[in-house]
Amino acid sequence: MNKELEHNFVELLEKHQNIVHKVCRLYTNNYDAHNDLFQEITIQLWKAYPKFRGDAKFSTWMYRVGLNTAITLYRKSKRTINTQDFDGVAFKIKADYYDDTEEQQLKILYQAVHQLNDIEKALVFLYLEDKDYREISETLGISEVNARVKMNRIKTKLKTILNP
Amino acid sequence: MDELDLLKKDWNKKSDSTKISAKEIYAMLHKKSSSIVKTLFYISIGELVFWILINVLPYFFSQAYNNQIDLVYSDKNVLTLINVFSYSIILIFVYLLFKAHKSISVTDNAKKLMESILKTRKIIKYYVLYNLIVASIAMLMGLYFGIKFTPEVSDKLADASSTELFIIYGVCFLMTAIFVLCFWLFYKLLYGLLLKRLNRNYKELKELEV
Repeated sequence: MNKELEHNFVELLEKHQNIVHKVCRLYTNNYDAHNDLFQEITIQLWKAYPKFRGDAKFSTWMYRVGLNTAITLYRKSKRTINTQDFDGVAFKIKADYYDDTEEQQLKILYQAVHQLNDIEKALVFLYLEDKDYREISETLGISEVNARVKMNRIKTKLKTILNP
Repeated sequence: MDELDLLKKDWNKKSDSTKISAKEIYAMLHKKSSSIVKTLFYISIGELVFWILINVLPYFFSQAYNNQIDLVYSDKNVLTLINVFSYSIILIFVYLLFKAHKSISVTDNAKKLMESILKTRKIIKYYVLYNLIVASIAMLMGLYFGIKFTPEVSDKLADASSTELFIIYGVCFLMTAIFVLCFWLFYKLLYGLLLKRLNRNYKELKELEV
């Protein structure tokens, strides 16, 4: 593969890397696993890049490849199931946003999301990224109605995890 | 407020502390992938090589085997025919596997991607099944002809009582069955472990449709 293509790709990925980090954050719970998944997604993106025609936005295309990698291709699953050591990653909340109760609540929320299965995580991820149901359904290959139903179920599930 | 909306509010505020540099990305591009698809592909290539070796090696290394074959197949055409047939089947499987492997695209939607990976898996499954059937037939036939065309053994067998014969053939049959079962368990374990998570996720998506 030629140098220019590689250069363009690296530039784009560096700019949009936050998307990949966010996928990793949902699907992994420690530093090593995060980096492993980041690397795997990068490789998959790079492999698929020659086929990227630019008819979708680069970021949209990244959502797809990133989630697909997390759901299907990544097999070091042992590291992602264990939610016990989640505290270690401690999502830092900026000082200006510091609020003890809300911080606590968010921490519990993130823990709850980590207990969802891979597909549910994908839905939550797209939801958090402000995607509409059409885009969610296209990314996962299910119908819009199903995406809605599933999302509602996830909300209920989260509620029960939070208030047992 | 909805729990998820609270999360959403926070989600986009986060600036990631881990920022990967362009240099690091360059390095990553040349690293090896650890995906299921790749592993599946390597395993199936390994299987092909294994079965081909099993078929071919005795031919080169064992004179006794060759003599035996000459004995059994007095008609060389039959042997050639069998060989051509079995290798074309292997080639068909290689082609199917290659095609299925090519069709796996990470840019498809999640469901389609999982479907194509599972389809690849199915091809390997049929290939393994084919091999096990052929192997057990070959083993039984080999034992039968081996006994029949080895004078020392067949002479002894001619004197054997029917109960003894029954036991001998029973043991042959049992050995074949154990051999096949071991292979089957091995594959079950191998692919079971490899595809456990994928199968679970696929089922999850499937359930949404009903």
